[in-house]
Amino acid sequence: MSEDTKMKLDRRRLLKAGAIAGAAIPAAGLLAACSDDGGSTSGGGSAEAPAADSPLYGSNATNMQGKTIDFAYSRIGGWPPSAAPTTQWADFQAYALENYGYTVNDITFVEAGFGELFQKVSPTLAAGSSEYNLMVVDSQWLGALSEPGWIVKADDVFAANPELDIEPFSSLVRDTYQVYPDGSGIRWGFPQMPDTQGVFMRKDMLEDPAEQAAFKAATGKDLPTTYEEYVEIEYSALVEIIDFFHRPDEEMFGTALMYSKEYDFFSCAYYPFAYSTGGKIWDPETSDVYGILNSDINAAAMEEFVGLMKYQPADAASFGIGSLLDLFNGGKCFSAWQWLAVGAFMGGADAVVKPDMVISIPLPKWDGKLIGAMGGQPWVINAFNNDDQMRVAIDVLKWWYTKDTQDKFIKNNGGLPWSKEGAANPEYLSVAHYVEPFLYMLEEGRSQDFWHLPEYAEMLAVQQEAFNGYASGTVASAKDALEYAAAKQQQILFNAGRTTTPPPENVDSLRL
Amino acid sequence: MAKSVETLEQSIKDVPKAKKLESKKTWLSWGLLAPVLFFFILMSVLPTVWMFGLAFYDYTLTSAQNPRFVGFDNFRDFLANRALAGAVSRTLIFVLSAVILQTILGILIGVLFWKNDKMPGRRLALTLLFTPMVVTPIATSLFWKFILDPTLGVLNFFVSTFGFDRIDTLSSTTLAFPTLVFVDTWMWTPFMTLMTLAALGSVPKAELEAARVDRLPLTRLIRTVIWPHAKFILGLGLLLRIIDAFKTMDLAYVMTGGGPGDRTELIAVSLYRFAFKSFKLGYSSAVSVFLLFVAIALTAIYLYVLNARKKAEE
Repeated sequence: MSEDTKMKLDRRRLLKAGAIAGAAIPAAGLLAACSDDGGSTSGGGSAEAPAADSPLYGSNATNMQGKTIDFAYSRIGGWPPSAAPTTQWADFQAYALENYGYTVNDITFVEAGFGELFQKVSPTLAAGSSEYNLMVVDSQWLGALSEPGWIVKADDVFAANPELDIEPFSSLVRDTYQVYPDGSGIRWGFPQMPDTQGVFMRKDMLEDPAEQAAFKAATGKDLPTTYEEYVEIEYSALVEIIDFFHRPDEEMFGTALMYSKEYDFFSCAYYPFAYSTGGKIWDPETSDVYGILNSDINAAAMEEFVGLMKYQPADAASFGIGSLLDLFNGGKCFSAWQWLAVGAFMGGADAVVKPDMVISIPLPKWDGKLIGAMGGQPWVINAFNNDDQMRVAIDVLKWWYTKDTQDKFIKNNGGLPWSKEGAANPEYLSVAHYVEPFLYMLEEGRSQDFWHLPEYAEMLAVQQEAFNGYASGTVASAKDALEYAAAKQQQILFNAGRTTTPPPENVDSLRL
Repeated sequence: MAKSVETLEQSIKDVPKAKKLESKKTWLSWGLLAPVLFFFILMSVLPTVWMFGLAFYDYTLTSAQNPRFVGFDNFRDFLANRALAGAVSRTLIFVLSAVILQTILGILIGVLFWKNDKMPGRRLALTLLFTPMVVTPIATSLFWKFILDPTLGVLNFFVSTFGFDRIDTLSSTTLAFPTLVFVDTWMWTPFMTLMTLAALGSVPKAELEAARVDRLPLTRLIRTVIWPHAKFILGLGLLLRIIDAFKTMDLAYVMTGGGPGDRTELIAVSLYRFAFKSFKLGYSSAVSVFLLFVAIALTAIYLYVLNARKKAEE
């Protein structure tokens, strides 16, 4: 090849490379332009009733008459309560036809695990699509969904339909599933499936006279057996019972908790240990984390939490919701610290552990104090719905909150009561053993949710990696894990303009 | 003379016809290619160009902020990120150990089956042997995860039945990575076996026959007869495995989630976390661009090998 040809080729390559780069930069510019209108945040919690013809009122006797409509929603995969709308959909089809004269086809849905659903839903919303008309989402996503204007403000819906503004059992429901920003009173979500934490135990083992005698002999104390005896139990007393039933030689472990890096598994299981002993994870008013999360109290709480791994199988560091279900139902552990919303599945007719062998209790107390973590999900309405879809979305919510629907949801499909009226219904209390501890944990101040900021995903990923690192033994101490998470989270919030306090200077050199 | 002039005139007359025919052929070719090109541009070129562009922006899906041009900041952050450097070095170790093991085992098994046409059950054995390669990596990861589970897994059932301590491979900081290499080897050794069989099949029978008649010693047979023919296909297999192993994500993500800690966090797992856990699309695009260049570099080596083959044949 001559030098001349080589030069030509090089020039050609250079031109090609330039063309690619030239195309790439405008492509990204186009991307930015496409999303130009996506950055606005709808303003504060106005409660003025919308115009009379607004679809936010839902359907009336005439405006949907004779129409046929498709409807889709998003739900959490493997989380039965969020699948209940599908199970009960035939009732809505009858409701819509009877009350408003329209036909709605079988509901379609997208589902994914807690960690993956956002990535399925958000691109459709970013593109302004009404692919999912209603969405069951995690409470942490309220900021990420509301700030770009992707979801309808619930306050506007309440102004049009006061019957949907249901009085909750406690302020926890409102603060967790509805309000963003925290403390603003502006509501975006509608409670779908509130959830709190508890401990599931083997009732049959507790009630076994031989075990009771052995416990008495070993500790000099009576083994508590009833809900009433456990409802105020201290953490140290519960650990004593766990220790008693921990028999690894017989493949019976004392307990099981979640330490997985996946989604918020470690974080939510750990929070009660920190909250209940006086720890905090951030300051919601200043959005500061550093100096708060990495406290000695939180470090001691994490050491205690991770210390419980000695009562668990060797792979506890990877435990999530499913692992606890498998272990407990397989008869491999005496107790499991689990979300009460899966209470219907702790013990099963086909499992080693049958439903009547299970008792559930609230989390224990630490020197009389208890603050658990909130779980559960709200509904949110897609802001890009057309008028018909919006009306049907409102109709679905009206139907969902009728007594008949809630009855079926709670009695047949693993739902839990969260409204003042529902909580007072004795029928619901007798549905299953996990309803009472759920309501106990839902009382004022007994549980709390964490960040609803749009930065939640980044903050959570950093924290989960650090915390799980300590449980796995790759991070030397709880203090190191908390220091790393706090510094990185401060950096994330500082870069996002949420706080004016910069992260520590060594933040970039921190490594797990 | 007159006849030649006539022929020449006729030829000149035929030129437009030929050109027309050529032009028709060109249009037909483009017409047939168009659907493929359309989808190639739509599904491959545009997303790649988009990814290149996004790598220069700060864009987090959950942040509710518009993409912000940051120049090379994402690349700078990426290169300064020590955790990512750890993931890259871990990936290289994974690629080296897994591919070397698979190549050695693949060649040994391939040689075992080569020329053993009368081996009883050969066809069934080959079919079973290739099964791991056909199963989707997610399914493979899941069932190995279940098999290795320290409490409920079948392996530990037998281990404890025979009175030994249960082994916790996937949560162990020392065993998790080798376990991942083992499962990858289980899955991809058949591919190297297949390539070995193809490579050995490419050796001309006449040359093998001649070598047999000449009673060539085994080492010389391999060096002078088999290797010159087999090396190109084997090299191709090796390169394909290296490229594929470098991209391994599903196996590590499902079996260990990158843990314990970051012990099995390969670069593709990190990339997945940045993109779909933290939703940092700009940053993860920058990491993807890096990975793309690594893949291009490996492909360049592959093309070089192919060219070397052509030259050797010439």
